[in-house]
Amino acid sequence: MFGIWILAALLLSIAEGEEVCYDRLGCFSDDVPWSGTIERPIYKLPWSPEKIDVQFLLYTRENPVVFQEISATDNSTITYSNFKTSRKTRFIIHGFIDNGEENWLSELCDRMLSVEDVNCICVNWKKGARCQYTQASNNIRVVGAEVAYLVNVLQTQYKYSPADVHIIGHSLGAHAAGEAGKRHPGIGRITGLDPAQPYFQDTPIEVRLDKSDAEFVDVIHTDSAPMIPYLGFGMSTPIGHLDFYPNGGKEMPGCAKNAISQIVDLDGIWEGTRDFVACNHLRSYKYYSDSIIYPTGFLGYISTSYDTFEEGSGFPCPAEGCPNMGHYADKFKGKITNDITKLYLNTGEARDFALWRYKVTVTLSGKRKVRGYVNVALYGSEGNTRQHQITEGTLQPDNTYTSFLDAEVDIGTLTKVKFLWNNNWINPTLPKLGAAVITVQPGENGQVYRFCGSETVREEVLQTLTAC
Amino acid sequence: MAKLLLPCLLLVLLLLAPALPAPQGRGLIVNLDTGELCLKSFQCKSGCCRHEGLLSLARCTPKAAELQGCSRKSIYNVYYKCPCESGLTCDADRTIVGSITNTDYGICIDPGSSDKRR
Repeated sequence: MFGIWILAALLLSIAEGEEVCYDRLGCFSDDVPWSGTIERPIYKLPWSPEKIDVQFLLYTRENPVVFQEISATDNSTITYSNFKTSRKTRFIIHGFIDNGEENWLSELCDRMLSVEDVNCICVNWKKGARCQYTQASNNIRVVGAEVAYLVNVLQTQYKYSPADVHIIGHSLGAHAAGEAGKRHPGIGRITGLDPAQPYFQDTPIEVRLDKSDAEFVDVIHTDSAPMIPYLGFGMSTPIGHLDFYPNGGKEMPGCAKNAISQIVDLDGIWEGTRDFVACNHLRSYKYYSDSIIYPTGFLGYISTSYDTFEEGSGFPCPAEGCPNMGHYADKFKGKITNDITKLYLNTGEARDFALWRYKVTVTLSGKRKVRGYVNVALYGSEGNTRQHQITEGTLQPDNTYTSFLDAEVDIGTLTKVKFLWNNNWINPTLPKLGAAVITVQPGENGQVYRFCGSETVREEVLQTLTAC
Repeated sequence: MAKLLLPCLLLVLLLLAPALPAPQGRGLIVNLDTGELCLKSFQCKSGCCRHEGLLSLARCTPKAAELQGCSRKSIYNVYYKCPCESGLTCDADRTIVGSITNTDYGICIDPGSSDKRR
């Protein structure tokens, strides 16, 4: 009898929904849409602010190496810190299991400080992140509320405009940023680095990050394959003003290495183990980090899908330019016309990830057709690229072959190109092949460069073509 | 916590590694992608297995482009600097000491180019 009463009480409490209230931050309920939906079946309430213990670790140009901890509840920590209201403020929020003192957050600050004078605040909520996933995905509501509370203190007591605030959140942290933006309207920008998929995809906009959460929301998707069965951790649906899908957004190059090569990483065993668990997912902040120092190396091309992008849709950039993925995405703020803007680009497979895209068209010359492949290397005022394969198969003289080339270096103004062909077996008739014309079009400005050659060469011999 | 977790995790992974099916087009022994650990250059798709120092681990690396540092093909089949891409020659002097210590370094040049260095 007593057991039935307990069961009834439990059922009743689930049906009605519970609520917890914390001073400063307000109340949090587990009602629909926070729990009890198909996407969020398990009822969980966020932990208390004391238990989650959100810390704000401030890095500035005055203290680039050692952080100062500031607190919204104790104004003296802000007054006596190196926080300056004349600078922009960028928050970085980590995700599930992660730690605010992890290297990638401070490295992001370090790179930002090398290009701009900024208050860089790493948000540490590791105590709330190292628990069951369902719990952590509710704890982010408190994390978001804490960030919003700090922004509010800065606005009311230091006359600091929320438009100067930029929140960068990775995984669950992206949704924490969304929560902060929802609670404090008028935040300048939110960057979602592969926002977490389970418990957030297909939920209403108040639960997850959405473009309504800030004046400008840009998102980088790097692990957007479905959770079941591909173990993709990131959201696939576009949710910001600009949504970037580097390499198609599902499988990142350099993430398919064998287990030992992945773990024994150049950056150490810890970085390697992180990548072994969630390589695609963690690429998002690595791309962001590189985009700070390579502003032109991450241009996003507007296209409907990755396949059409690979075929050349959206290439070259329109007159107003291509949006930069990562740090400089806000350059494109105000130029957005579409409701949803999906952007595609390719990146490298290891640091540095920046690539510069070109369209290359080769017109062959020669006497007979041969089988083999054609390589082209680009030379410019700032350097030259490796040889990139343009086509493979039957090489017919006078035919034209078009391909896209992602150069690993920024070569500047094009000066010449080199052509090389090869077949993989020895041909005793010693055939010769050449390139009559090669046109190269950089994606960035769309200007077409034309290069001509008059000779033909044997296999494995470089032919230099000059401007014409 | 993390200190203890890591060796355990590694052990599990090492035990698991042979059981993981290798997707088509790449392998554990040959046909290795850029960035994968290697012992000899023939294992790599790029044809260059490179390490920073004698005691550091070697990884598959793309071959050197024009004007980049390179070394001559060596019998060790592991390099401190990768050999050049096809069509290019590594402009280095061959010395006895260099060929023993695997340090016959040079710069990749195009033998057909008029603006070559020497």
